[in-house]
Amino acid sequence: MGEALGRLMEFRDDPYAPARSWKERTGGTVIGYFCCYAPEEIIHAAGALPVRITGENRQILKSGAHLQSYCCSLARTGLDMALTGGLDFLDGTVFTHTCDTMMRLSDIWRLNAGFAFHGDVVIPVRLEGKAALDYLYSEVARFKEAVEGYLGPISEGALQESIELYNRNRELLRELYGMRRENPTMLPSDQALWLVASSSLMEKREHNELLEKAIQEIKAEGASAGEGKVPLFVVGSVMDQWEFLKMVEEVGATVVDDDLCTGYRYFDEAAPEDPDPVMSLTRRIADRASCPCKYRPSTQRAGYLVDRVAGSGARGVIFFQFKFCDPHAFDYPYLKDALDAEGIPSLLLEIEHGSVSAEQLRTRVEALLETIRG
Amino acid sequence: MPVAGVDIGSLTAKAVILDDGKMIGTSLLMTGHNSRLAGRGALDLALRDAGIEEGALERVVATGYGRLSIDFTDEQVTEITCHARGAHTTHPEAYTVIDLGGQDSKAIAVDDRGRVAEFVMNDKCAAGTGRFLEVMAAALEIDLDQLGGISLQSEAPASISSVCTVFAESEVVSRVAEGVSKVDIVAGIHQAIASRIYAMAVRIPIRERIIITGGVARNGGVVRALEKRFEATIIVPEMPQHMGALGAAIVARERCAG
Repeated sequence: MGEALGRLMEFRDDPYAPARSWKERTGGTVIGYFCCYAPEEIIHAAGALPVRITGENRQILKSGAHLQSYCCSLARTGLDMALTGGLDFLDGTVFTHTCDTMMRLSDIWRLNAGFAFHGDVVIPVRLEGKAALDYLYSEVARFKEAVEGYLGPISEGALQESIELYNRNRELLRELYGMRRENPTMLPSDQALWLVASSSLMEKREHNELLEKAIQEIKAEGASAGEGKVPLFVVGSVMDQWEFLKMVEEVGATVVDDDLCTGYRYFDEAAPEDPDPVMSLTRRIADRASCPCKYRPSTQRAGYLVDRVAGSGARGVIFFQFKFCDPHAFDYPYLKDALDAEGIPSLLLEIEHGSVSAEQLRTRVEALLETIRG
Repeated sequence: MPVAGVDIGSLTAKAVILDDGKMIGTSLLMTGHNSRLAGRGALDLALRDAGIEEGALERVVATGYGRLSIDFTDEQVTEITCHARGAHTTHPEAYTVIDLGGQDSKAIAVDDRGRVAEFVMNDKCAAGTGRFLEVMAAALEIDLDQLGGISLQSEAPASISSVCTVFAESEVVSRVAEGVSKVDIVAGIHQAIASRIYAMAVRIPIRERIIITGGVARNGGVVRALEKRFEATIIVPEMPQHMGALGAAIVARERCAG
């Protein structure tokens, strides 16, 4: 493993280490966010560090008093981290309006987590049409004002610069995915997906530098052993179960592409050039691959998924869902029907942070592979 | 040349030796704490049953929960594939396999060639498994093997609303305190299991006929309750516990045939 890739890999077991050390080093402000619709560039342009909170594998201590057990483990473990000091490096949090749980978590968080800054961005459910875009624009602008109210004015130049930095990161991640689609054995999928996830956990300029070097290292090393692995496609929200991905590699498969919000959806579509940076951010949110919480009449998720799977060369699909995730569960039956109609085998795995049974999941993944291999 | 399949489940280990399409040796023993030893023991017993030496085996395939812990087999295949293959071989008319084992339960849709088309498995839940029945039998002080027969006498099954092993046990205790007969309680437990299995199984297309495998298939009360729930007659094979091992042996035979 090359040096830059090694430096990115080393904090996978301690994902918030870079945010903590950044704060120590710079004395700057750290703003957490749960969802990749959050306009990170605005936080970055204000000189603060945006950090994605994805929950973690832990036993719930305190959040059970605020959230019912039918909320997803992302919300329950995330709130638990906040209530037990696990997120003490944060100065504030921003929530985007996606699912019911996240909406309610925002209020519970505001009243109980005790951070100085709290922001909400209401992303409309329908992301097409003038009314939706006007509304979304006003929300992004309102969020910018809220951040400015907390951290001081953000110049247009600074915001354009942050957008460029983020677009560069997206370009690099796209390159990485392209390389792996060509030859999945260049990098195991647990590492590839971590390269995306790590991007939301550290300062973008630093991540760009390391990622660019890591890609060069991976290219220089070329394809490794592991020819003949079955290429799979993963659909879901957060992927932070590295032991699961390592197991997938162990049993002779690899994730070549995905529709995950800590994967492809995080970097899909650059923010377009626009003299008004707020409009640029608005248009990216509206245009990028949407999550099941959102709706774009012109792109049905089923057709989109079938095309993406075909384009990736994957021979099977894993739906990797958190228990009680309504939006993903709601879409699953019709996505599965669409895959069935194309003869693409799929497997539904429901997991919760902190109680992933690797052995049961191994049997299911192996059974999927046996089905694929016939 | 004969081939063998070894199925190391959470509760029992089974082996089947297949020669020329016939089961010439079988075995069944408790898995205990060491699945490697259990697998070894199951194979040795089946070899003795068949009256052949291990060297005579052309290929050995392992399956089941403990399949990765043994080192004397040529290949490991999941119990999902093996149950499908085993059931299809003995009962080609079956397209849906319901496997109720010691620790997990699953439903498998099988295609015309005995391959897995789709499957669902329970998740971190003992409801509907052998373990659940063991707990219930203990709570009612009834021998595990008696449960099926007893429940068939019931005319008014008790209502057991929870199918969580822990909650159902306390519910059973409440019914006992209310003076409900054991016969009706056991029948109620079987109904609760059937509802649970049905809710899981209908996530895959259910195509008749349905066959039941695994140790719980020996409980006629559960089978009856499932038949009511599925509104279909369910095939109970002669050796339901050996279906996985048989399937593993069939996979071994297929591999040898190239």
